[in-house]
This record gives sequence, C-alpha cells and structure tokens, in this order.
Amino acid sequence: MKCTPTEVLLVDDNPADRELTSEFLSRSHYPSHIHTAGDGDEAIAFLQGAGKYAHVARPDLIVLDLNLPRKPGHAVLSAVKQSAGLQRVPVVIFSTSQAPADILGSYQLGANSYVCKPGNLPDFAAAVTTMGDFWFGCAGRHCSPEASVAENVAIIPIEENA
Amino acid sequence: MQALETTQDAGVNTLPIRTALMDGLRQTNEITLNVLMVEDSEADQELVLRELRRSGFAITSALAQTAEEFANLVHKNVPDVVLADYNLGHWRGIEAVEILRKEGMDVPVILVSGALGDINAVECIKQGATDYVLKDSLARLPIAIRRALREKQIERERMQAQRDLACKLEELARSNRDLEQFAYVASHDLQEPLRMVAAYTQLLAEQYRDHLDEKAQRYIHYAVDGAIRMQTLIQDLLAFSRCGRSDMGSEISDCNLILQRALDRLTAAIEEARAHVTWDPLPVLPVNRSQMEHVFQNLISNAIKFRGKEPPVVHVSAHAGEGAWEFAVSDNGIGIAPENADLIFAVFKRLHTREEYPGNGIGLSLCKKIIERHGGTIWVGSSDHNAEVKAGSGTTIRFTLPTKTQEPNS
Amino acid sequence: MGMPDVDILLVDDSQEDLDLALHALRREKLANKIFAVRDGEEALDFIFCRGAFEGRSLEHPPKLILLDWKLPKVDGSQVLREIKSDARTKTIPVVVMTSSKEERDLINGYLLGANSYIQKPVDFDQFRETVRTLGLYWLVVNQPVPNAQPVGVR
Repeated sequence: MKCTPTEVLLVDDNPADRELTSEFLSRSHYPSHIHTAGDGDEAIAFLQGAGKYAHVARPDLIVLDLNLPRKPGHAVLSAVKQSAGLQRVPVVIFSTSQAPADILGSYQLGANSYVCKPGNLPDFAAAVTTMGDFWFGCAGRHCSPEASVAENVAIIPIEENA
Repeated sequence: MQALETTQDAGVNTLPIRTALMDGLRQTNEITLNVLMVEDSEADQELVLRELRRSGFAITSALAQTAEEFANLVHKNVPDVVLADYNLGHWRGIEAVEILRKEGMDVPVILVSGALGDINAVECIKQGATDYVLKDSLARLPIAIRRALREKQIERERMQAQRDLACKLEELARSNRDLEQFAYVASHDLQEPLRMVAAYTQLLAEQYRDHLDEKAQRYIHYAVDGAIRMQTLIQDLLAFSRCGRSDMGSEISDCNLILQRALDRLTAAIEEARAHVTWDPLPVLPVNRSQMEHVFQNLISNAIKFRGKEPPVVHVSAHAGEGAWEFAVSDNGIGIAPENADLIFAVFKRLHTREEYPGNGIGLSLCKKIIERHGGTIWVGSSDHNAEVKAGSGTTIRFTLPTKTQEPNS
Repeated sequence: MGMPDVDILLVDDSQEDLDLALHALRREKLANKIFAVRDGEEALDFIFCRGAFEGRSLEHPPKLILLDWKLPKVDGSQVLREIKSDARTKTIPVVVMTSSKEERDLINGYLLGANSYIQKPVDFDQFRETVRTLGLYWLVVNQPVPNAQPVGVR
C-alpha cells in the first residue's frame, strides 16, 4: 500500500534491544528507515532537529522505551504530545513494564499505543513485525516525508518533571 | 551501720547473742534497700527502720516531712520504696503517690500508719498505694516490702519481654519486606539479560544456519533451552515469593468466571492436545482472583501435560462441605504413584525428566501455597485422604476453600 | 445483567463495509466479541452505557473502537471528541476510518486524539488485509489500559 519508507525514531537505552527491534521492524512487509536514540535527550535533540540532526526528516512514528537513563520515557512522551509540531506523530510505548500504572500513565499522557516487550523471541518477533505491518502499511501518516525542515523544527516545551 | 539498740524490755543478758544472730542473718539475707520515709515522728521512723534491719535489709534511708522535701529527695535519689504515714497533719502521705506519678517514677508506696480504718485503707490502695501496714503490726512490713518489690520486678520483666517481642516483630517485618523487594528486583533485573541471551542465541541459530554444522546447532539449542528455562523459573519464583504478601486481598468472586479465564489462557494447549475439558457449576467464594486463576490454570495444565496415549479428558467439580467447598480436578492421564503423593507439592520436585515432560516443579508448590494462604488444604487422590492412589489410572487433585475468608486483613 | 465483554466496537453506517470487516475479523479468529452500531448516537450510548445499553459497565470498555468518519445522527468527529474528552473513556484505543485521501486532508485537524486512522482501501482484498493487520495489532499486540480487576499473576 505505501511505497515510501516510514521514518521511525526508535528510543531505547539498550543497544541489544535497539538492534533486535530494528531487525524485526525491518522484516515487516513495508519499508522503513529506522533512526535510533539511546536516551531521552538524544531523542529530543533528534525531534527538534538540533545540532547534528539539523537535516533529518520528522519521523512518522516514534517507538519509545520507558526505562531510559536521566530523562524517563514518560518525559519524552509528554514533550512530544505537548508540542504543536510533533503531537500528531504517533508514539508507541514499547516496554518490558507490565505495571498498570505505567500503562495507564502512558495512555493518559497521550501515547497512541502501548506494547509490552515479550520475553521470548518468537512472540517478540511477531509483535514487532505486526507493529511494523500496521504502522508502516495501514496507518495513515499526517504529512508526507518530503516535508520541509522548517516544519520539523518545533519549540518543544520540555518539562523536567513531566 | 547503726548500733543495735536495746529495747525497753531487753533487760536480759541476751544482747551479745542477738547481735551475733543478727549479724549472721544480715550476712545471709541482706537486701540493699533505699527507703524514703514520709513521717513526722522520729520515734516511729526509728521503729520502722529497726524492724526492717531486723528482717535482713541493709537500709539507706531518707526522711521527708513535707511535700516539697519529698519532691526534692525523690529527685536526688530515686528510692526503692516509699513508706508513708497517712496523716502528717499538714499533708496526707498518700499524696506522695501523686508526686511520684507526676515525676513518672514507678516506686511502690506502702502506707505505714496508725489507725486507718478499712475504708480509708481501701481508698488508699485505689489511689495508688501498693499496700498498707499498721504501726502496731510492723512485723508485716518486711513481708509487704518484699512482695511489692517482687511485683515490681515481675512487671518490669513483663514490659521488657513485650518490648523485645515488638522489636523482634518489627525486625521480622522488615526482613520480610527486604526479602520481597530483593526477590522482585532480582527477578526483574535478571530477566533483562536473560532475554538478550535467549533472543540472540536464537537469532544466531537462525541467521547463520547455513554456516553452522549439526554440532554447533545442537550447542546453540542447549544454550537457548537453558535460557528459556531460566526465564520461566525466574517468573515462577517471583510469583511464588509474591504469593505470600499480606496485602493480596480477597473478594467475593464467581469461581466459574475465574475458571473461564484460566481456560482462555490454555486455549492453545487445549487445542494442541485435543483435550476435552468439562466442569460442574462452581460456587461464589471470597478468594484472591488472580491467585485462584493461577491455581486452576496450573492444575488443568498439568492434567493436559501429563497425559497418556489418549487425548486428555479433564473434569473440574466442586461440592459443599462443612464451612468450605471441596474442589476436584481429575484427569485420565498417567497418574501419580502413592509414594509420590506428598512429594509433588515440594518446590522444585519433579518426578520425570525434562525430556519426558517439561516444567520446573514450582507450579504445584505455588498452588499449595496459594490454597493454604486461603485457609484451605490441597492433596492428591480421593476425598478420603488415606485411600489408596493407583498410578496409571488418572489423577485427581483436590483442594478446599473456606466459605468465609480466613485472613484478618482481607 | 450486563452484556458480556466486547472486544471491538464497529461503528459504520455502511452495511457492506460492516459485513466485510466482520468477515475479515472472524476469519482470522481475532475477536469473539464484536459489536456493530450504525450511527454515532448508538455508538455513544454503547460507550457511555446509557439508553439501550444501560446494562453495560464502564469498567469493561471495548479493547478497540473502529470509527467510521461519516455517520448519521452524530458524526465521527463528535463521537471521537466525546470519547476522548471523558476521563472514563479517553484511554480506549480509537482507530478512525476515512474513505478517501481528500477527506483525510479535510479532517486532519480533527484527528488529534485518535490513536490512529486508516484509509479504507477500495479493493476488497486489501480491505480484508488491512482489517486483519489492524485487528492483529490492536487486539493482540497492543496492551489496553488494564481493568480495575487485574487478571493473571505477572
């Protein structure tokens, strides 16, 4: 259905998990470009187009772990959903946490979806591939990937204790 | 030490013998006693002190004649006992009790008085005096003092024991909390690296299949198998440790719904084994829903797992008993030998090799823990606990659940 | 007594599209409990447990609402707005279905609040494929807000 690759920002502090997730996202039936960030600050910098990220395209999807060093996932989620330029980007929380407080909290902060990272590989593979199939293939995007850089730069009010 | 005085009627030449006797007595029976006397008559004071020394006390004493004097002396030196005259003219000796109470001093007060009258005596005891002794029956005084001191000692020991117990309980509670937290954190943090080991060894096998010979693939298989087993083990251990928490409450629940949820979770296993599961109507009982769901899931899963050659047939039933319902999960599987009937509930105890039947041996011990926390019992076999269980003829696991909740804080 | 738990609420006034979606979902054995309503008013009654759906409980919301945009009585944007502005229902995943790219562009501003939206494929096979992936993702992979009564030992 969609030919242009989906731009994805994957935020996870564990490089092994980043690679695992990227591997199975790339096995989806639809193409994607996976950009990764290892912590909340890097993620925000990417989204703001700051510094070395000055010319990256705004992502069509953010896959976000909760357990990040320094700035927790919820803070990143909050910053994105409160930014006029970024709030329409779907955010999928992808975390090992099954704590009801984490799940409810994520939805209340505006997360579009919450996926618990399965513990075993076959389930993990199936979940991530399906995630890719849906968000890259079916789900509509709010603007085409050729959007101008100016449109990408949004002043994100980052609350420290979001 | 005061010189022994002669009494008026001594006259007799018994002094040296009495002195020797008294010395002897003092040496064997001596109790040091710090006495604070509230008395305005010196003569009476002397009488009392002499009586006490005679009966084996080594006395240090002080005298107070007014409330102020009393308060001061009590501050300087807390006495072992207060001997108070009831009527000092300007002050009632019983008020010493009040002063002591205000100072938070737990000192027995014995009234040593002239004619007191029964009513007044009872009144004084009510107001806090430990005892009263009449001045013309001073021989009773040492006995009264000994008894008062003994009672104080017992009381002190009792309070200390209570404090020790409270301390130990707090220590135990703290230790339990620490253990729980450790179990939770350990298992949580342990799962992460395990997930990586399991996932990447499997990926390795998959992506380098063409480059790996049979031995290498077998090695990887063992590694993956070990990692996956460890994952399950940690999750089960975590469930086991969390099961004991006192804040897992119970509520009135429909056991039919709980059974249904357990069966939903077993859909794949049931389909794969072509199992036929049936059930009788189950009661409504006060239980912890998620724990009971785990029990049903585990028992039915076992019934399916330990099957014979035929597709498993499992039946869940329940009937009411005295103050409890008795449930049964029976199957047509390989059965359990009678000598193993108790063993199967022990943690990590397995009766088969992993090649024969998978599992880590925690499931049933967790069920037992859950059932017992609810106040029930769980066992293998017929309703009669002692009846013979034959191996190979299927298994029935029975457990009871009380009709009324057992835990104090549900 | 109340209705049993519902996994998916389908809101669409097109009987054809409803049939297609139902068929696709059932074929994949994705959902035992699907409920379909034909207009926005019925949808709101269902979600807020009122009117004909008084017996339902707000404590057991559907795992997913598939919401067509053009609806009679109360339209899709209104339904979406009401669901997402009520604390009791705003965490229910809502996937909006639009019928054309033009419509999608028009309603872009209103889509905030929807968990995602899809454009209904014209092609029958593609539609089925879309519903399959959608169902698989939102019913199996996605984790909805846990109910008041947690099920299962973690």
